Amino acid sequence: MIKMTKVTKAYGNLKAIKDVDLTINNGEFVFIVGPSGAGKSTFIKLLLKEIEPSSGKININGLELTEMKRRDIPYYRRNIGVVFQDFRLLPDKTVFDNVAFAMEIVEASGREIRRQVPAVLAMVGLASKARAYPHELAGGEQQRVSLARALVNNPSLLIADEPTGNLDPVTAREIMKIINLVNYRGTTVIMATHAREIVNAMKKRVITFRKGSVVADRAKGEYFGEV
Amino acid sequence: MKFRSWKNVIREGVKNTGRNRVMSMASIGAIMAALFVLGVIIATIINLNNAVAELESKVEITIYMAKEASEEDIKEAKSKLNSWEGILEAKFIDKDQALEDWRKEMGDKSYLLEGYTSENNPLPDTFLIRVENPQYVEDLVNKAKTLASVEEVRYSSDVVNSISGIARAVRFVGMAIVILLSIMSIIIISNAIKMSVHSRRREINIMKYIGATNWYIRWPFLIEGLILGMIGAILAGAATAGVYSLLLKKAQEPDNFLSIFGLLPLENIVYPILSLYLIIGCIIGALASGLSMRKYLNV
Ligand SMILES: Nc1ncnc2c1ncn2[C@@H]1O[C@H](COP(=O)(O)OP(=O)(O)OP(=O)(O)O)[C@@H](O)[C@H]1O
Ligand SMILES: [Mg+2]
Repeated sequence: MIKMTKVTKAYGNLKAIKDVDLTINNGEFVFIVGPSGAGKSTFIKLLLKEIEPSSGKININGLELTEMKRRDIPYYRRNIGVVFQDFRLLPDKTVFDNVAFAMEIVEASGREIRRQVPAVLAMVGLASKARAYPHELAGGEQQRVSLARALVNNPSLLIADEPTGNLDPVTAREIMKIINLVNYRGTTVIMATHAREIVNAMKKRVITFRKGSVVADRAKGEYFGEV
Repeated sequence: MKFRSWKNVIREGVKNTGRNRVMSMASIGAIMAALFVLGVIIATIINLNNAVAELESKVEITIYMAKEASEEDIKEAKSKLNSWEGILEAKFIDKDQALEDWRKEMGDKSYLLEGYTSENNPLPDTFLIRVENPQYVEDLVNKAKTLASVEEVRYSSDVVNSISGIARAVRFVGMAIVILLSIMSIIIISNAIKMSVHSRRREINIMKYIGATNWYIRWPFLIEGLILGMIGAILAGAATAGVYSLLLKKAQEPDNFLSIFGLLPLENIVYPILSLYLIIGCIIGALASGLSMRKYLNV
């Protein structure tokens, strides 16, 4: 369970996140929407402990994020898969190695890597492209690799910041199918997006930010409001 | 860390070194220069110390008798010198004999000594004493001064002292240069590592999101620094050995000024220096990469 209490993140005078109180249960699928500059990415960075809140508390499964020691951050992040709009693949590594990389740095064994990477590539539908390099792939395929990398260590939370932002609607829908499947299997999903059709089609919880504040929070919600 | 992880980390470190070729070469050059100068200084000091030791074992004491010394005085001095401990040889040089020798030495310029006879001989009677062991020198010098009609007692401590002085100066100036060059190579290497970190910032960023520990991220760069340090050390070792064996060869030519120094054999110099190089090279490399990563890894 993620519980934010009166969380504020200020950059100078600007409050990117303002007094946010929020609870997200394990296994939930949550869209974070809102106009550009509303604070969606800031919200996600707070969850990843990439930045510290100016005030307030963030508690994740009983863990107080603001009190976490620096050296414990890597171990905390191993429970979280992250996907970004720009894929962030390593260009000089194959698809397989890009995914294996995530297992290597958490010191998985060679056997685990050889078993787990093909399985997760199959899940995202890229089994046949294991030896390809990122530049040989279409955008949607690259995002699948990125998704495979995020999922390969079996995170309990998947965080995605505009994962379909660079994709056409059809490809975006493919990606959403995978994310939905991951959620169906029990992983909590938090996804920031501008994709109105996707949000409206999926009928999940929608939290709307504007100027750093939560202005709407609806179960089976719709993308609401103008940009 | 697991063995597997070490393999990964070392592989990445090697890759880093190869990727940044220009900076790697600059770093290796810098560290090599610093170590080479250090080697020159060490080799010089070792050889000077050796020369001092050698000279000390050849110390000669010269006793100049006063002009008015009588036959009696000289006879007594002779017998006393023969009874004292620690004297290998005590050679008496008669002043008339000395004058004669001098004339011969001057050859066709001997006219300069014309007018000198045994009456107004400017040279004194002299004892040349070779000691068995330098430890006797001080005692013998003091005893020689108590002999009747002794004008002056000299011994070659001046040379020893001045060589020791040169060794001290070399050490002092040399260490200053070495420290300066070391700082320079630390700066150059840390810049190389910074560039390496910079060129891999995307990867580092991803590694952080996935949950790599800081040490896992740091190791490849530390290894890069160590590799640079070690290559620099090995090259400096090769250069030192090369230059030194060249000097040795020159020193064997009879006319070369180097032949007056009894240079120590190559292996006395190169092995200690090479191991020192490796240690210092690694320290410099590790230090430089440690310094350069501190600020980059704070997320
Ligand atoms: N490092 C920073 N320093 C200063 N201001 C920042 C920083 N990061 C974000 N901001 C500001 O905080 C506000 C929220 O930014 P954020 O990136 O969270 O918006 P967003 O909702 O993700 O927007 P978008 O939909 O365009 O991605 C913006 O006004 C932004 O300019
Ligand atoms: Mg954003």
